Amino acid sequence: MTTSVIHPDSGPMRQIAMVFDLNKCMGCQACSVGCKVLWTQEAGEEHEWWMTVNTQPGRGTPRDWETMGGGLKEGHPVPGHQPERAEFGGGWEFNYDEVFYGGKGNKVHLQPLDKGDGTTEWGMNWDEDQGGGEYPNAYYFYLPRLCNHCTRPVCAEACPTGAMYKRREDGIVLRNEDTCQGFRFCMEACPYKKIYFNYARNVAQHCIMCFPRLEEGVAPVCARQCPGRLAFVGYLDDEDGPIHKLVNEWGVAIPLHAEYGTGPNIFYVPPLAPYRLNDDFSIDEETPRIPPEYLESLFGPKVHTALGKIRSELDKVRGGGTSEILETLIVYRWLDLFGPFTADPADLQRPPESVPVTLGTPSGA
Amino acid sequence: MQVRKVDQALSDPGAGGWDAVAGEKVALSKVPIDAQPTEYIRVKWAGLPYGETADADVKAAHDGTNVFVRVEWAKDSEPNAEFHDASAVMLASGDSSAANTMGSTDAPVQLWLWQDGLDGVRNLDGTGPGAFANRGTNGISAQASSADGRWAVVFSGPTADAQASGKLGVAIWNGSNEERAGIGATSDWVALEFD
Ligand code: SF4
Ligand code: SF4
Repeated sequence: MTTSVIHPDSGPMRQIAMVFDLNKCMGCQACSVGCKVLWTQEAGEEHEWWMTVNTQPGRGTPRDWETMGGGLKEGHPVPGHQPERAEFGGGWEFNYDEVFYGGKGNKVHLQPLDKGDGTTEWGMNWDEDQGGGEYPNAYYFYLPRLCNHCTRPVCAEACPTGAMYKRREDGIVLRNEDTCQGFRFCMEACPYKKIYFNYARNVAQHCIMCFPRLEEGVAPVCARQCPGRLAFVGYLDDEDGPIHKLVNEWGVAIPLHAEYGTGPNIFYVPPLAPYRLNDDFSIDEETPRIPPEYLESLFGPKVHTALGKIRSELDKVRGGGTSEILETLIVYRWLDLFGPFTADPADLQRPPESVPVTLGTPSGA
Repeated sequence: MQVRKVDQALSDPGAGGWDAVAGEKVALSKVPIDAQPTEYIRVKWAGLPYGETADADVKAAHDGTNVFVRVEWAKDSEPNAEFHDASAVMLASGDSSAANTMGSTDAPVQLWLWQDGLDGVRNLDGTGPGAFANRGTNGISAQASSADGRWAVVFSGPTADAQASGKLGVAIWNGSNEERAGIGATSDWVALEFD
């Protein structure tokens, strides 16, 4: 009874992929906010962040998502938990009226309104900068996450209505919101917990890889907004592009939780972190500050070879040599990040119906 | 089941006119796990209880233009923040349509689906358990009330649709148990006789 979730079911299969270099991410949230502003500003989308950035180690978003199941084991789906509204948290309303107009400005502070539904006890970036370790060897890094547009989208395979599908031309996983009945098996089945539920419209929603931008040659908003020059976009099979080299040739960009079995297409250059300090504050060059077993719990055993490769490239350059890997990761020219998607959205001709309207008194009123 | 001819619309489940309409207790059973359309749903629900709503009290009336189907059942008292109670009336598209699996690819059923907390009613094609596609809501509505631990929902829609079907089926989803799609209880067909 399984029907293909690949749409349409012919023609060559290509895959858009991204690489995030975690050594350069500063947790500024420009990517997540850019996404929020572009895609999730309507009623029912208040708590939705298709792009999230969390401090690691941490409980992440939705809270403790790595314990919620889903994904595949030996090719078969694993039961999962549907992340609940309170586990995402956020989407708050604030007591603006009370503070600014209620005459209580000196007594009451601005705070989210507690509706008794648990949503004020967590949020997209709740445990920011807590991280792990003890002074002076505390450690943390940031992990930007979006839908992985998986090679085997278990989300789409779980859906009984056929509302979700994977595009053959670029591998983007999409949902037809007119067909979606709000049943949320996709949310249970997705092991990355990157699908949100719009309670106002009774539909599930997730990252669309900015496909309307890609179709116009413009990179996704998260990649373009990032000031860190660290988010690469392109086709995974483009052998001349940086993504193919970083992932397939050099092995320095690896997926998150590959053991979930879905074949994620978002890859990460793992973080090196500074050296540890000894008790006398001398530098310990032998022990990595971020415990390797912690990194392995996220990125699997390949993290050690990836980090080893980067360290040896660094040594090479320190010794006066050159490194194509490091040159690639430095990104001297911003547009080198975006593969074939270098168009500037400001240059696009907007269709007439989407030209922004000037707000004012409606005529005839 | 007799579809009683009435003079005025009975779209309110509390309308006094329902007292004069005889109903039937319709037995429900869980939609078979093997009929669930995706492996994920089968794996997830294989060992879990669902579709345990045993029966529903069903009455039907029509005023010539619209048919009114009143479905009443005992609800679970545990509220669920994510999933909500729901009920559907099913109509057949042909002799071979199956009510207990919410239709099949070859023989779809039409579902009028009401869900607690959502405005309006969904008018769907069912081609299997939870394998639904929208048909548009033209001329269909639902009104619900809840008292003494029971839901009562009246579905209103074109009499012609119900006459063409000649029979109806019922589906109930228990929101407390996270039931939705094909995870629920359905009846067999009940033949309709119009006044
Ligand atoms: S990350 Fe989740 S939502 Fe995205 S394609 Fe993979 S399984 Fe589906
Ligand atoms: S915009 Fe770039 S640097 Fe800022 S949080 Fe996102 S990925 Fe990290």
